[in-house]
Amino acid sequence: MKKQEGGAQSAPPSGSRSALTGWLRSPVLQRCVQAVFVALSVMIVAFSLMRLAPGDPVRTLLGDAATEELVAQYNEKLGLTGSTPEQFWSYLRGALHGDLGTSVITGQEVVDVIARALPVTLWLIAVTLTMAIAVSLPLALYIAVSRRPWVGHLYRILTSISLATPVFFWGLMAILFFSMYLGVAPVAGYEPGFPGNLEYLWLPALVNCFVLVPVLSRVLHSSLVSTQDEEFVETGIVRGVPRRKWFWRYLLRPSLAPTVALVGYMIGQMMSSAVIVEIMFGLPGIGTQLVNAVYQRDYAVVQGTVLVFGLIVVVVGLVGDLLGRWLDRRVDLV
Amino acid sequence: MTDDVSVAPSDGSAVAVAAAGGGRGERRSGLSRGVATWWRALRGMRLGGAMILAILVASFVVPAVSPYDPLAATGPTLAAPSADHLFGTDNLGRDVFTRTFTAARLDIGVALLGVAFPLFIGTVVGALLGLSRSRALAAVVGTIIDAINAFPMLALIIGLVAVLGIGLKSVIIALAFTNWARYARIARTRAMVVGKQDYVLAAKTLGYPRRRILLRHVMPNVSAETIAYGLSDFVLVILTVAGLSFLGLGVRPPTPEWGSMMSEGRLFLQTAWWMTVFPGLALSWTGVAVAFVAEGFRRRQRGDL
Repeated sequence: MKKQEGGAQSAPPSGSRSALTGWLRSPVLQRCVQAVFVALSVMIVAFSLMRLAPGDPVRTLLGDAATEELVAQYNEKLGLTGSTPEQFWSYLRGALHGDLGTSVITGQEVVDVIARALPVTLWLIAVTLTMAIAVSLPLALYIAVSRRPWVGHLYRILTSISLATPVFFWGLMAILFFSMYLGVAPVAGYEPGFPGNLEYLWLPALVNCFVLVPVLSRVLHSSLVSTQDEEFVETGIVRGVPRRKWFWRYLLRPSLAPTVALVGYMIGQMMSSAVIVEIMFGLPGIGTQLVNAVYQRDYAVVQGTVLVFGLIVVVVGLVGDLLGRWLDRRVDLV
Repeated sequence: MTDDVSVAPSDGSAVAVAAAGGGRGERRSGLSRGVATWWRALRGMRLGGAMILAILVASFVVPAVSPYDPLAATGPTLAAPSADHLFGTDNLGRDVFTRTFTAARLDIGVALLGVAFPLFIGTVVGALLGLSRSRALAAVVGTIIDAINAFPMLALIIGLVAVLGIGLKSVIIALAFTNWARYARIARTRAMVVGKQDYVLAAKTLGYPRRRILLRHVMPNVSAETIAYGLSDFVLVILTVAGLSFLGLGVRPPTPEWGSMMSEGRLFLQTAWWMTVFPGLALSWTGVAVAFVAEGFRRRQRGDL
């Protein structure tokens, strides 16, 4: 929400400066550098997770009967030996080389576990986003253009209800109706490979949409309303710009910019519900991995998946911001 | 997360530009009138308040007058809703009606704690940070706040529950740990604005101690903002608490709790829908009620009633 800038602020002029400094001052680059810093601090938080535990996580895992030798061995495996800065340094070096440790339960590399699970989650996000945009865009346009006040009121009441209802309630109702009553979707499971996986993904994505569509369409709606107040929209009509061009270039494109920039933030929120949706529909994504790892006290996998969740949000936020900037140069990046 | 973009519902003032002419649809149908009535009740926070009151009263009255023990088998298993068991019975023969309303106290109580701790911590930290003159401190704490906010809330909470151990206490601690950062961000921004106001400068000039300025002049302004956010955050928190129990990471059976009841009912979805639907409706009811109050509160604060 912080990046919307309504006023007529333009990009800093780089006229007489040399090409290099102009490039360095580019807001795009600054935004990228900022993303790297956030990613680094996300790694610090993920790293601190295991060290915040009261007492000794390894002791808790192995029980009181464990021998000193075994405890030392597990500490070694989890990277819990040496001073904290040393631990962080080796953790950081490992992570940058694609080494997030080994699961102490299954003996698998954490990176492999994530590499198997991540495509499922990304597919779920992609399908959800596609569906959410396909619904939100016409919905927000209709609400913004509608001249009946009760349409807007009804819309706000319904979105409030949708947002305040737990995603697992929607999920269970969807399973009850679509899978059990109508029999048009599998109850659970997954099969990799496009387009076969869509059969398993459409219902979970639809459930996710119950959370995403209200937020997305509200942002889009308020953005459309404020664009309508801009002078260039009126100017477009006065100048006799063809209706279709006026609609896309004058009304929709500037309205989309702040929305796209916010989608990154919203995907972060959606990832939370995606964890529950994955579990409920038996999708083997990283949310499922995370929860299973918690049941098994598999700390290395917990740490790895939490990190990936954080990094996804950082990357998606960056892409959203850059895309919004491309759509409307007035959007402030930093 | 519930956005602060709530714009007054489109009254067509701006759209008039786009659509030349065309009278405003003043013919009011029954539906239109019905919606308008609901809208007014909602705006005044009366509807939401009444809904909250209803569930709170029920959560105390039902367990007190119910002939059934929420934890003990008191009837046939998986019996459909009837006069004896209004919401039916579950797979162990427990009365779902009694359990649903017994759970209300727990869910609402935990969610209140899950809002109160981060609200307090975040407001204090954010206000101090906004007034602090140390740039190093602002940078370090600011980075921590950004990093915590960068995570999907549920993923970080689940990670914390993993190290703290499964259970209700861990859930509350994890909520405090992750959510304070969002309050701190709001409080910091507000404190920075308030700190430059004339009345704060005046208090400084008069030589009042910093503590007094903080408590008497800055805090009231900052906390008004964070409390308003806390109200809409409550919806998210109660859904998160129930969600964690649904995943088996919060409240453990047999304690009645909406999320864990729904998780148990999930296995009997086809044969005994009442095990899932009634706790789910109770949870939605509470969430919607608070969302309505939060929306009314925001409107009132902005002054467009």
